[in-house]
Amino acid sequence: MEDYVIEMLHITKEFPGIIANDDITLQLKRGEIHALLGENGAGKSTLMSVLFGLYTPEKGVIKKDGKEVKINNPNDATDLGIGMVHQHFMLVDIFTVLDNIILGSEPSKFGFLTKAEARKKVMDLSNKYNLKVDPDALIEDITVGMQQRVEILKMLYRDNDILIFDEPTAVLTPQEIDELMKIMKDLAAEGKSILFITHKLNEIMEVADRCSILRKGKYIGTVDVANTTKEELSSMMVGRNVKFAVDKTEAQPKDEVLKVENVCVKSKLHSNDSVHNVSFNVRAGEIVCIAGIDGNGQTEFVGALTGLDDISSGKITLCGEDITKKSIRYKNTHGMSHIPEDRHKHGLVLDYTLEENMILQRYFEPEFSKNGIIKKADMRKYSDRLASAFDVRSGQGAKTIVRSMSGGNQQKAIVAREMDRKHELLIAVQPTRGLDVGAIEYIHKEIVKERDNGKAILLVSLELDEVMNLSDRILVMYEGEIVGEVDPKTTTLQELGLYMSGAKRDDRKEAK
Amino acid sequence: MKKKLLSVLLVASMVATMFVGCGSSSSSDSASDATATTEEGAADAAGSDYKIAMITDSGDITDMSFNQTTYEASKAFAEKNGVDFQYYKPTEDSDDARVASFENAVTDGYNVIVVPGYLFAGMIAQVAADYPNVTIIALDCGEGDFSGAGMDSLPENVCSFTYQEELAGYMAGYAAVKEGYKKLGFLGGMAVPAVIRYGFGFVQGADAAAVELGNASEVEVNYVYGGQFYGDDAVTAQMDTWYSNGTEVVFACGGGIYTSACEAATKVDGKVIGVDVDQSGTIENAYGVEGLCITSAMKGLAATVDSTLTDLFAGNWSKYSGKIENLGIVSGDDPSLNYVQLPMDTWTMKNFTVDDYKALVASMNDGTVKVSNSTDAMPKTSIKVTEFDNIH
Amino acid sequence: MEKTSFIKRPAVQTLLASILCAVLGIVLGYIILCFMNAEHAGEGMAAILTNFFKYRIASTNTLMKYMGSFLVKSVPVILCAEAILFAYKAGLFNIGVAGQYTVGIIAALYTSLALGWHWSLCLLATIVAGAVWGFIAGCFKAFFNVNEVIAGIMLNWIGLYICNIILGGEKCMNQSKSETYEISDLNPAGLLPGFMQDFFGGNQYMTIAIPITVIVAIIILVVLNKTTFGYELKATGHNKEAAKYAGMNAKRNIILTLVISGAIAGMAAGLYYLTGVEHFKIASSVPGMGFNGIAVAFLGGLHPIGAIIAGLFVEYITLGGQYLNTNYYNPQVADLMISIIIYLCGFVLFFRTILNRPGKVKVNANAEPDNTAKNAEEKEV
Repeated sequence: MEDYVIEMLHITKEFPGIIANDDITLQLKRGEIHALLGENGAGKSTLMSVLFGLYTPEKGVIKKDGKEVKINNPNDATDLGIGMVHQHFMLVDIFTVLDNIILGSEPSKFGFLTKAEARKKVMDLSNKYNLKVDPDALIEDITVGMQQRVEILKMLYRDNDILIFDEPTAVLTPQEIDELMKIMKDLAAEGKSILFITHKLNEIMEVADRCSILRKGKYIGTVDVANTTKEELSSMMVGRNVKFAVDKTEAQPKDEVLKVENVCVKSKLHSNDSVHNVSFNVRAGEIVCIAGIDGNGQTEFVGALTGLDDISSGKITLCGEDITKKSIRYKNTHGMSHIPEDRHKHGLVLDYTLEENMILQRYFEPEFSKNGIIKKADMRKYSDRLASAFDVRSGQGAKTIVRSMSGGNQQKAIVAREMDRKHELLIAVQPTRGLDVGAIEYIHKEIVKERDNGKAILLVSLELDEVMNLSDRILVMYEGEIVGEVDPKTTTLQELGLYMSGAKRDDRKEAK
Repeated sequence: MKKKLLSVLLVASMVATMFVGCGSSSSSDSASDATATTEEGAADAAGSDYKIAMITDSGDITDMSFNQTTYEASKAFAEKNGVDFQYYKPTEDSDDARVASFENAVTDGYNVIVVPGYLFAGMIAQVAADYPNVTIIALDCGEGDFSGAGMDSLPENVCSFTYQEELAGYMAGYAAVKEGYKKLGFLGGMAVPAVIRYGFGFVQGADAAAVELGNASEVEVNYVYGGQFYGDDAVTAQMDTWYSNGTEVVFACGGGIYTSACEAATKVDGKVIGVDVDQSGTIENAYGVEGLCITSAMKGLAATVDSTLTDLFAGNWSKYSGKIENLGIVSGDDPSLNYVQLPMDTWTMKNFTVDDYKALVASMNDGTVKVSNSTDAMPKTSIKVTEFDNIH
Repeated sequence: MEKTSFIKRPAVQTLLASILCAVLGIVLGYIILCFMNAEHAGEGMAAILTNFFKYRIASTNTLMKYMGSFLVKSVPVILCAEAILFAYKAGLFNIGVAGQYTVGIIAALYTSLALGWHWSLCLLATIVAGAVWGFIAGCFKAFFNVNEVIAGIMLNWIGLYICNIILGGEKCMNQSKSETYEISDLNPAGLLPGFMQDFFGGNQYMTIAIPITVIVAIIILVVLNKTTFGYELKATGHNKEAAKYAGMNAKRNIILTLVISGAIAGMAAGLYYLTGVEHFKIASSVPGMGFNGIAVAFLGGLHPIGAIIAGLFVEYITLGGQYLNTNYYNPQVADLMISIIIYLCGFVLFFRTILNRPGKVKVNANAEPDNTAKNAEEKEV
């Protein structure tokens, strides 16, 4: 008999109109790294919520070390030694690393904190697992990679031996990802059992021992990673074969659509510019990508470009017209489409229905309103057309409240809306963030189709695969400046990494 | 469209009715309970089928003044005669709310309604004719109030009493100056006729006393209206100024406004004069200063209520029916019978004695002393009267 | 499936939560009565609930007259609630309704008493006055990013003192009664035209204010749900950033929202004071109407029609207080009870959250994920 630490057997969890988990079985062996793979909406989050006691399943049992257990709330899960590193870190910014680690289980004697003990334990763990942290640094001052190590230490400090990593690599640089992979292996070697939720097949191939695949709420199977291939995993996940390389022909750039000259943006946090002297152009029929590590001014630059943030100096020209000082509405109606970085913050009104979101920038146009009254029938028709054209799935069709849709479908809705609008320039910021390979493939294909239709595309992405696969030209942004321009066909990931980390600078650009 | 609206309204009212339907069974029970007690009470009252209710004006029955006196007098009479009594407090200070309270009381079976204060003239104008079987006894509603409300004469079921407040004010002013105070103050509530009469009487009294004493050049009166019937910081601040500039005694004339005068007075050992009822006990208890209130300019509310109700129960309503009686001094010999007086039971003044007071009342009664009841302009005096702008 | 999800529908939940609040308020009121005088508590509660229906003993005419009074008095609090929920849908908490209502009083009484205008112009003046007051708060919010709550509270007081000064003058205030003159005496044309007065027992205060209130509520309902303007406002209310992203003019919408909200509040004062039922007296605090409106708006589930029902309920209970027998309960008990019931109205959200408790999942096996509750909260708060 196998030695399983956690078994979730025949778990079924229904929501009205949808079976989120349909007879799913997941068995985690002691000391293994077990990947959980599935599209968005496949039921991974529901399954983890069941494991954490947030939902009570209709059917199925959970066993710990072969004994059946009841998990009614997250505290039960913690008591069983289950810990989780969330995609978005749960850290208090203004506390030190040490304080964050001990938060919630502070060691105390007679009501007084005994931090010295805690510090020793933390430092021991840190050394043992090679999780380098500075216990006295404030969270807000340390890198994302280090913050993640703090999250891991938090779990270890609580003596958790079942560790769940929820898409841990999304926020990391390539170098940091390598480091995390090594840490995970070390942890497994020490006898910790790891559940690794991810979309990235490369990472599964690199670290996981076994991989369970979910699709549309159903359990597809569990495979030994050693005996499988990326292609097999992805076809199990999506239910068909997926191409990884984006099919595209040579770009046929035509007229200049977007011209950016010496754009500067003042930082909200410090006295320096967060975007400094950025100049480039995008022509019709090409995909230009701004690459870089998160937080190097991309968000601020896009804000200035689209009008969400103020621009302090410089000039932006769209189709030959100076739009530097134009309103967002003007830009929206004069050729600019924008897939925003944060779909919840900007892209959608989550409490609106799908159809209402579909006309977010167009509700006032004659097509959707007359004398100030919204034409509901036309709105419904339009929304249905977009939803079927872009395969946006939702529980109750056009009437679905967007908040209840899966992240992938929310993103597809935005992509559909932005691509269908009349535009010459598409600004796509992280268009595939948090999406599964199926959706990514789809969106990539659409973007290429856009390009081939003669649209200019400005892609801002943190995903190196996406950058390399999709773009025709790559601009690297570092600390608010464009430090280099490379051709994806001739460059390597390593070279790109050097630019992104500021180790290399394009002299040509600096001279300018 | 209109039809739709109507139906919405109808549905709303139907829902309301249903809602009430649940409670109505128990309410009819309680109603019959109430009738039962009434019957018992009626047996005690030797066949009297009167039930007495009182409606408060803008104040409450704990105002230590007008409402309280009326309430206590009505209640005492009802208990003495074993009839039902209840008071009603309108939801707000408006004629409409007072009418609602009246109809509420009448629906509860009360047929004698006592209403204190000039504010009720409007209510009486609206209900008196519709409820001829309900007796309304109004206090302080003058002819001017009724004609202002559109009533030239009172129907038979209504009577009203006004008081010659100027006489009470006169007595207080006279007494204060005779007692030896030279710097006086008058703090009125709102400038309504009753308050003005008190004030002008006070000034006349002080003037007369000063002339008699020959120190008219030394006596001064500060004169102000608070603009409200309760004290607050602004009023207290004005009183502080007066007292610290030498004012010795203030006639605080207007519901609860005396609190501001008392607060200011206690700081500098000043004195106050009460109003309407004998306030000396109340004031001294509240501020813990003995002798803070030297006297009070009283009007006989309690006596009026008691005597009118007694006559009504005895079948002598015709004495009052449809009349507005202006009550003042009725006896020169026994001041306690008068409807305006100073309290003799709690007399504390030394230079101006009870005997001096009796002499004053006698001369007021026989016409030797005349007091003007005009409210048009400040009386001409030989003492100095300084008028201040209304505080609110 | 259908049946179980019924209770989870937002509209049903709001309704349930509101009813629960109202019932709990009444129960709590009953408990208070028991504390004060247990023997007569049942009788007292019955008196409050029977309310003006006690006049059915007297005559249908009297009953209808008080029914009319009840409707007349419900108008301002309903409209204040409408003003509040309108702004709330756009993400603005217009606590300045009290002040906008106050300047509405100034406009109503000054134009009718001092200037002798026709009622239609007086009503227009109240709307404009409220709108101007809302406009000021809106400008502060839009251009200087001053929180509308702060600006609103300050303007409440400013409005009150201006009101005291203007209406305290000789032209409007009967100095001997210390309240404003009767409009019917000085300027009968300034009174709103009557509405079904005969049906309501000859109640002279029954005016077109009643149908106007219903119409306003319906207009708000339509504007919020059918128009591009409503679409913009709600989008801004739900997600300001997304509205900005969509190119909506946030500044214009903030100002416009507060202008409209203020106009409704000003009209509330107009539709009340121009009936002649109420007079203004020098006041030292802002009229409570604007604040009760908040409770009513929430009790009504932030729905324009819900606000009408909630407003009627609150006014019904408020009026009920005077029917308590004062021999057993002093009138302050009624005020206390009413305050508590109104206070409980604010707990609608709390009850909705309870209805959505994850614990409920066991009862309703097919319940939606527990973030419905969270959604509802985020949506409303």
